[in-house]
Amino acid sequence: MFVQRAYWPFCWQVMREIFARCPAASWEGHFANCSVLVILLCVFETSAFAQSETSIEQAGIAVLQKNCISCHGDPRISNLDLRQRETILKGGTRGPAVIPGKAEESILYQAAAHSGELKMPPGRARLSTEELESLQKWISAGANWVKTAATVGQKSEPSWWSFRKPQRPSVPEVHDKNWIRNPIDAFILRQLEESKLTPAPSADKRTLLRRVFFDLIGLPPTPEELKLFLGDSSPGAYEKVVDYLLASPHYGERWGKHWLDVVRYADTGGYQTDLYYKDAWLYRDYVIGSFNKDKPYDRFVQEQIAGDELWPDNLDLHGSYYIPEKKMEHMEARLGTSLYAISPVYHESGLDVENYFDMQWTDWVDVTGSAFLGLTLGCARCHDHKFDAISQRDYFGLRATFSGSDRVEIPLVHRMDLFDQWQFYPRHIRLQQLRAEAEKISNQAKRRIVDSLKADLPKETREAYEVPEGKRSPEQQKLAAKFQEAINRIKEEEIVAKMIPVEKGKYEELVKEIGKAYLQTLKPMPTATVLGHSEVMPDVHLLIRGDYRNKGERIKPAFPAALRDENEVIEETALRPLVPQRRKALALWLTNPGHPLTARVMVNRIWQGHFGNGIVATPNDFGRQGQPPTHPELLDWLATEFVSRSWSLKQMHRLMVLSSTYRMSSRANEANLKIDPQNHYLWRMNPRRLEAEAIWDSVLAAAGTLNLKADPLKYFRPLKQINPALLNELGGPPVFPPLSLDEREGGDLLEKSQWPDSLDPNEHTRRGVYVYVKRSFSFPMFKTFDAPDASLSCERRQNTTVAPQSLALLNNEFIHRQARAFAVRLLRENGDHPAACIENAWLLALSRLPTEEEKRKNLEFLFTLEQRWRNDGKKAETVNWLPEQLRTILPARAEALAKLCLTIFNLNEFLYVD
Amino acid sequence: MSDLKPRCNGCAGEGPEVRSRRDFLARFGGGFGAVAAVHLLAREGFGELPASQPVNPLAAKPPHFPAKAKAVIHLFMHGGPSQVDTFDPKPLLSRLHGQPPPPSILKSEEKTFLQFTKLSEAPLLAPRATFKKYGNSGLEISSLFENVAQSADDLAVIRSCYHDAFTHGPGVQLINSGVFRLGHPSMGAWAVYGLGSESENLPAYMVMVTDGSISAGAPGYGAGFLPAVYQGTLLRKKGTPILNARAAAEFAPGEQREVLDLLNWHNQQHLASRPDNSELAARISSYELAFRMQTAVPELTDLSRESESTKKLYGLDDEITEPFGRNCLLARRMVERGVRFIQIYKDGWDAHTSCDENHAKNARAVDKPIAGLLTDLKQRGMLETTLLIWGGEFGRTPVTDGQANSEVRTSDGRDHNPYGFSMWMAGGGIQGGKVIGATDEIGLRAVEDKVHVHDLHATILSLLGLDHTQLTYFFQGRNHRLTDVGGDNNLASRLIRA
Repeated sequence: MFVQRAYWPFCWQVMREIFARCPAASWEGHFANCSVLVILLCVFETSAFAQSETSIEQAGIAVLQKNCISCHGDPRISNLDLRQRETILKGGTRGPAVIPGKAEESILYQAAAHSGELKMPPGRARLSTEELESLQKWISAGANWVKTAATVGQKSEPSWWSFRKPQRPSVPEVHDKNWIRNPIDAFILRQLEESKLTPAPSADKRTLLRRVFFDLIGLPPTPEELKLFLGDSSPGAYEKVVDYLLASPHYGERWGKHWLDVVRYADTGGYQTDLYYKDAWLYRDYVIGSFNKDKPYDRFVQEQIAGDELWPDNLDLHGSYYIPEKKMEHMEARLGTSLYAISPVYHESGLDVENYFDMQWTDWVDVTGSAFLGLTLGCARCHDHKFDAISQRDYFGLRATFSGSDRVEIPLVHRMDLFDQWQFYPRHIRLQQLRAEAEKISNQAKRRIVDSLKADLPKETREAYEVPEGKRSPEQQKLAAKFQEAINRIKEEEIVAKMIPVEKGKYEELVKEIGKAYLQTLKPMPTATVLGHSEVMPDVHLLIRGDYRNKGERIKPAFPAALRDENEVIEETALRPLVPQRRKALALWLTNPGHPLTARVMVNRIWQGHFGNGIVATPNDFGRQGQPPTHPELLDWLATEFVSRSWSLKQMHRLMVLSSTYRMSSRANEANLKIDPQNHYLWRMNPRRLEAEAIWDSVLAAAGTLNLKADPLKYFRPLKQINPALLNELGGPPVFPPLSLDEREGGDLLEKSQWPDSLDPNEHTRRGVYVYVKRSFSFPMFKTFDAPDASLSCERRQNTTVAPQSLALLNNEFIHRQARAFAVRLLRENGDHPAACIENAWLLALSRLPTEEEKRKNLEFLFTLEQRWRNDGKKAETVNWLPEQLRTILPARAEALAKLCLTIFNLNEFLYVD
Repeated sequence: MSDLKPRCNGCAGEGPEVRSRRDFLARFGGGFGAVAAVHLLAREGFGELPASQPVNPLAAKPPHFPAKAKAVIHLFMHGGPSQVDTFDPKPLLSRLHGQPPPPSILKSEEKTFLQFTKLSEAPLLAPRATFKKYGNSGLEISSLFENVAQSADDLAVIRSCYHDAFTHGPGVQLINSGVFRLGHPSMGAWAVYGLGSESENLPAYMVMVTDGSISAGAPGYGAGFLPAVYQGTLLRKKGTPILNARAAAEFAPGEQREVLDLLNWHNQQHLASRPDNSELAARISSYELAFRMQTAVPELTDLSRESESTKKLYGLDDEITEPFGRNCLLARRMVERGVRFIQIYKDGWDAHTSCDENHAKNARAVDKPIAGLLTDLKQRGMLETTLLIWGGEFGRTPVTDGQANSEVRTSDGRDHNPYGFSMWMAGGGIQGGKVIGATDEIGLRAVEDKVHVHDLHATILSLLGLDHTQLTYFFQGRNHRLTDVGGDNNLASRLIRA
């Protein structure tokens, strides 16, 4: 019998095993075992074990291909490349991966078998016993290499699901065909049927209407809209509502906000001085507008990453004041890149440019990874990603795509407007002249104060101050500086008081003149802050342990190795001057229809918006540390559908909200609860609490104070009739609702001047999405209800239930102001009829009528409170908030009604959507 | 030492077993026991809670190991006090006053980035304050803190603190959260996340500001990526001490109760048809807590029941010491009421000019109150379980500030210095009368036994009974820690009383 040489280590091991188990004294046993060995070897040679040399190698290499190459192939995580024998033997940062012939001593095998410190593959189950066996055999046999299909140039399929291209699955067969409205239902129902779960019955019409209104536009239906829908028994009634909502400009406000969370939108730079980004709102409006016009998502991505490189243009006129539409479109695309201009920046980073760019690039790569790729690239900044196939080189390759890009402020006017600015510039000169004159007078008066102060100074100090600067001794410097500090503390009022009458008259006149002159200057030229290119393109280096002062090798721009095909590279033309195209390459690569992540990540976000949880519950992390999809096939079906429907978001919304799945009730079913208490498989709709801004909007909507800044569209008006000009009426610079005294004076706000309350009270009740997002001070009402921190991407709102929320809705000035406004609205609409007021209140706030019992309870409440107020006559006199026309109403009654309105704002039913 | 970051422990979450364990609990556990277990698992870094998990996030949780300290009072000297004027005596400075720094110091000048100062062009500046030895331990403390010095044997001074954020905002952010970029939770938030709240009616993490404001703004004491419920609550100086925690003026007496009763009636009706949704139930009970907070907060801030001698101890009888003293006394009252983590900020230490005068003024305002706090806590037997931390966001340069070209700036100020500075701890299991580490001969850079912010954080957590490597939160693809990948310095073991 001849045993191939390559098998000897294995035979030896088998023999060792046998001898170890065999009592040394028992020769009989020994012989018996030897015969076992002989038989075994025969079997080895001839049957299942008798693999040819190549089959052992093929099996071993196949294990590597399937489980390891995605990280230890092209990405060379930990510097380890398992694609060739030489590189395997050379190993990575931990030394040789394999010692031929010694499987148990090889790090590769130890890691795979979880027998050593290192456990691979990360974040996943250990390899199967069969796989381990193949690996062990292959190493024991000398770890020889054979060429397999995968090793001959052809790239292996990535091992991680989300790195593979989505494959269009066929729509599954189910038993209950009647339930299926579209393919989404088939995928959901099959899973339910397999898990012995039954789908919840359809929600009633009123619940469904409220749900779809909040989901699509973030506002409750008005009583008229409710009535129309409840009265419409035609088969397409619900479809009509959906189309109406998708055509509403408020859809963009709702869904734009979701996107703004993902891209950490804010109006300021954060940190101590919290730089004001005066053009940030243009990006906010750009996002809202993009959703409203159903901009294809691939285009949306392209614009944000590389609007300038893809559609370079200017605003020049063509023979008239008309700017061609194409140019406007290109300008809009360019606004998209403001995504990168709104990153957090701290003031003093300006002192250290390397630090500044390091902060910028870190934020830019992070936000790109989170928002578009759904990957946490940040891990690979300091070292190769421990779980995903992203190496540190990949990370810096992406960083290099942003090198040479920087914020630039561009005029948002055409050349003629620009010339106007130059024409009227002398008005600014006039303003400066007047100001200089005023300062002259003010300085004269100030000098008088200084002189009188000086007279009271100790001799040395006075002398020190009188010595010209630069000639003072150190001691004199100190004394003089101290006096200078006192001078700097002199206040404007003191100076004005010290002016002689002639001066004062002149001064006051000048101040008036300055005001007038200011009104005559042109308004500041509108600009946008977007990405452009710096004159030099700094080299990007791999940073050792992520420290910007510790530079490693130079890195060229590139896409992450595990996600690209070999031909997908960033090429730069040799032409000079070089027009950078790096971001353009990135944008086009991301929006390639076959990209494994882009479409999946976005459809998952839409799904989360409608169903409460994503199919992947971690929308910013499709890597190994994220949650696996609950319905992988559905996700791929949606992703491919999304691409084939030209990346239309509105069509995806439509598909989802028209499904039977979406229309299910949120009520629980005992049997289902036992099987799937978390509702992973969607046997019912998830009830949800409204987010901070939606609570704000709902309060205002009920109170009738919501300023939508555009005519609410008439019911069922088709999309094409919407005047595009109407859309422009949304948005604008951020609004500053007044802070309560406690909020303003309490100490959270660094400088009171940093929150200039909007002067126009109508601006105080705009939708939440337009409220100023200040990184160092989030609007208290929103912060209490889990508004995100706006410095890092927020994939999903937190949802906490804590006492400060209850305190805010019980005691805050805003809520009481709105409760009174709500009461005024009810009194206006229903007159002094408590029962009618209650019914209307319920309809406005909760889209339903109160039950008889509820009505009775509320009437009792009104009566009790009214009595209380009447008995306290003095207190009742303080009720002066009723408008003139309603002064006939008993103040005590109005107060009671306002308290009922307040109660409604606090109801769980008001804050939760079924 | 700890400036080497050998391994990314923070990223090393265990893989499949844990994940499935959590999934198992989340999916099939049901019942409260399982829910609580899931919550503990989440704290140990086994992933975040399923969003619908109805658990009180502030429920008290057991520590990883027995805690030395139950509460922390962090006396944040905002602006950055100078180490060489307070707790790190450098006699050489007096000898070399007015001269340039020695050549040994200038060797690595380019690595010492200062805000306004070029090291080689700035003369050394001797402090006016004098140092003396105090207590049995002979700890050297400057005359600026002569009252605190009476408790020298309780203080452990760390003279070798360092980091690399040389401006205020990032410095505050770094001291609080370990990371100078925005978005990361502050240590108070981590502590409450790890241990929950002992107080029924008050927030577990409270912040007081004496003078001015905090450079980093509210994010300085924020929850970052942790749920907002863990953020610090500011005790307001004006208006209602805790935002909205006073019945609105719009309510007639007793009326708020009527509102709450009607609300409760409706909410119960609503809940009855949705009995499985415990979030709704949690919201109902949050109104009762809110109602109680309205009385707990005024009770906390009402100092009328404190004795005159106590008030005097904290310096409430002196207008200079009163503001900080009041906050110190409030801090003690908070600890008594179960508040877990307290920060008192004292702004004003940013002495770019006239450092001597600036520090004399600021020390005068805080020295007596801090000494009073130490004494009072000790008398009441609370110092054993209350950790005091003193320090700024960084220290100051031993050389003069470099803004001499500006007319206001003269030569006797000091610039920011994150490369070496002092902090001290007391109480909460700390072995007092001790000095850890040292700066170079002029007090510019920490050179001996260097202590990074992560090491401080690891120590603070460990005194609270938390293992900093185990206290993790899953965010953006990995388990984050307060100490990021650091905190390897075994500082805690050397600070804790045997």
